[in-house]
Amino acid sequence: MSDGPAIETRGVTRVFESRKGFLFREKTRTEALKGVDLVVERGAIFGLLGPNGAGKTTFTKILSTLLLPTSGTALVLGHSVTKETAWLRPRMGLVLGGERGLYNRVSGRENLRYFADLYGVPIAERERRIGEVLERVGLTDAADRRTEEYSRGMKQKLHIARGILHRPEILFLDEPTIGLDPKSARETRKLIRSLVSDGVTIFLTTHYMFEAEELCPRIAILSRGRIVARDTLDGLRTLVGGDRTFEVEAYGFEDREIESLRHLPGVSKVASEEYGPATRLTMRVRTRETTLDDVRGLLPGHPELAVRERRTSLEDVYLDLVEEEAT
Amino acid sequence: MAASAPAYTRARSTVASLRLAVLQFMADPQWLIPSMIAPVIFGLVSFELFRGYGPYFLIYAILGAGMMSMWGQTLYGSGWATGQDRNFGTLEPTIQSPTPYLYVVLGRVLWNVVSGLFGGLIVYAVVVGAAGQPPALANPLASIALFVFVMLTLAAIGVVFAAFYVYTRYAGFIQNIGEFAFYVGTGCMFPVVLLPFAVTPIALVFPPTWALDALRYVAIPGYTGFGWGLWGDVAGAVASTAVYLAIAGLIFRRVERQVLAKGNLSDY
Repeated sequence: MSDGPAIETRGVTRVFESRKGFLFREKTRTEALKGVDLVVERGAIFGLLGPNGAGKTTFTKILSTLLLPTSGTALVLGHSVTKETAWLRPRMGLVLGGERGLYNRVSGRENLRYFADLYGVPIAERERRIGEVLERVGLTDAADRRTEEYSRGMKQKLHIARGILHRPEILFLDEPTIGLDPKSARETRKLIRSLVSDGVTIFLTTHYMFEAEELCPRIAILSRGRIVARDTLDGLRTLVGGDRTFEVEAYGFEDREIESLRHLPGVSKVASEEYGPATRLTMRVRTRETTLDDVRGLLPGHPELAVRERRTSLEDVYLDLVEEEAT
Repeated sequence: MAASAPAYTRARSTVASLRLAVLQFMADPQWLIPSMIAPVIFGLVSFELFRGYGPYFLIYAILGAGMMSMWGQTLYGSGWATGQDRNFGTLEPTIQSPTPYLYVVLGRVLWNVVSGLFGGLIVYAVVVGAAGQPPALANPLASIALFVFVMLTLAAIGVVFAAFYVYTRYAGFIQNIGEFAFYVGTGCMFPVVLLPFAVTPIALVFPPTWALDALRYVAIPGYTGFGWGLWGDVAGAVASTAVYLAIAGLIFRRVERQVLAKGNLSDY
């Protein structure tokens, strides 16, 4: 196995053109990806975050050979996703998830048998391998039931079982916990973590911040078809202006008060939003020298003032970056 | 973790696809209608339609109804199964597997041939039951062999249709338009020689036209058809089937690339 990155893309763009309306005369053009450059190292979970319509699924499909980029290059495991699909496909797994994507009239086991054959899992190993993955995803007892009887969570587990059946080197998971109840989502995350310990590289897309925070040592944020940031969570916190966040609430602030908060040492950003009858100021703070007492000291005319400190979350980072990109 | 890509064989994928098609058929009661009830209706209608038309009306009735039944099962079913993949959302994971999709389609086509033959047997039993006697086939064994051959020529067209289903979700629309024209034009119900001459050159483009003429040639005493004899018909059917399969192979290779460019694999 080569030691290069698991994924390396340069300038990947994707344009969708379609026709609709009477006699298909209306032509629409959507630029889903606008030059994505990304490097993902092997052997860990890499998270791609982005709002709906950011291009996450499009990018995942390009990397998993289900879609051609309009321009740019994309290498997975050092091989081109457009020219070396025959080499790549046996080595990658893809979990698109959802209610669809399974043969519902047959059992979970039969679904896996079919795909084991398409992936060339050795016949002598096939049944044992199917038993292993079913046990791993917790579907052993339901293996011989028709998948149309499965719950959403069970279907998701079966999707994952199919994705790992042929022991891929890299696994693409597109929003694996979307629509799952909290228990199923937690089980799925546990399963994903266990796959990394087998040495599989996992490329995960999600818009659940806590999921990315819990699972992904490195994260990229995709917004409107562009990667707006890529780093560890701590690196991203620094990028948006600090790992400390102060939340300040009162019944309205004057402009000069907000301006004075901006000038406190280490404060990189002060954002204001209406929060019911109150106004909430969110401050990003880079250093330790500014304290909550300093904030209180600058806002003496607010007896109802509430000030608290918390660690900058991935959600804060995400919202800052996506909003910044939008403006 | 896989140190190298697992080996796969195309034949194994075709068998897997055939197996899945059988399992889906068994699991879904809706298939009883086209596979068992429709042939009974076709047999009775065809028997009434041809009754009294010459000494070989039973053979015409069986061939007409049998083809009506098998046509849908074999040709239509092969393309439609790919449309089902679109509906189920299984087209993407199947295309994403290392197996070229053509070999998945071939497995389904094989099953459709078998189920089409089963429909033909039902038609035979119904017509014979209604007439109270078996047909006077000139060469029973050769007739059966050519019956199977007709199915395979139909299947070749089915493979081409399947490629269109991969390419676009609107393939069903195209197939529905062409279905009845193909059915009449290839001589499924009536020999092509009975149709206006202008139909003949078009009909000869389709392998079943040749195979059906060969079948009538061996089954009906005194049948002359196109006048090229049994082996002329068989040669024409084999050649045109080979051309269709070659075209299907080329189309599939192109279509699999084009759908990745269009990005419409998940449309349904």
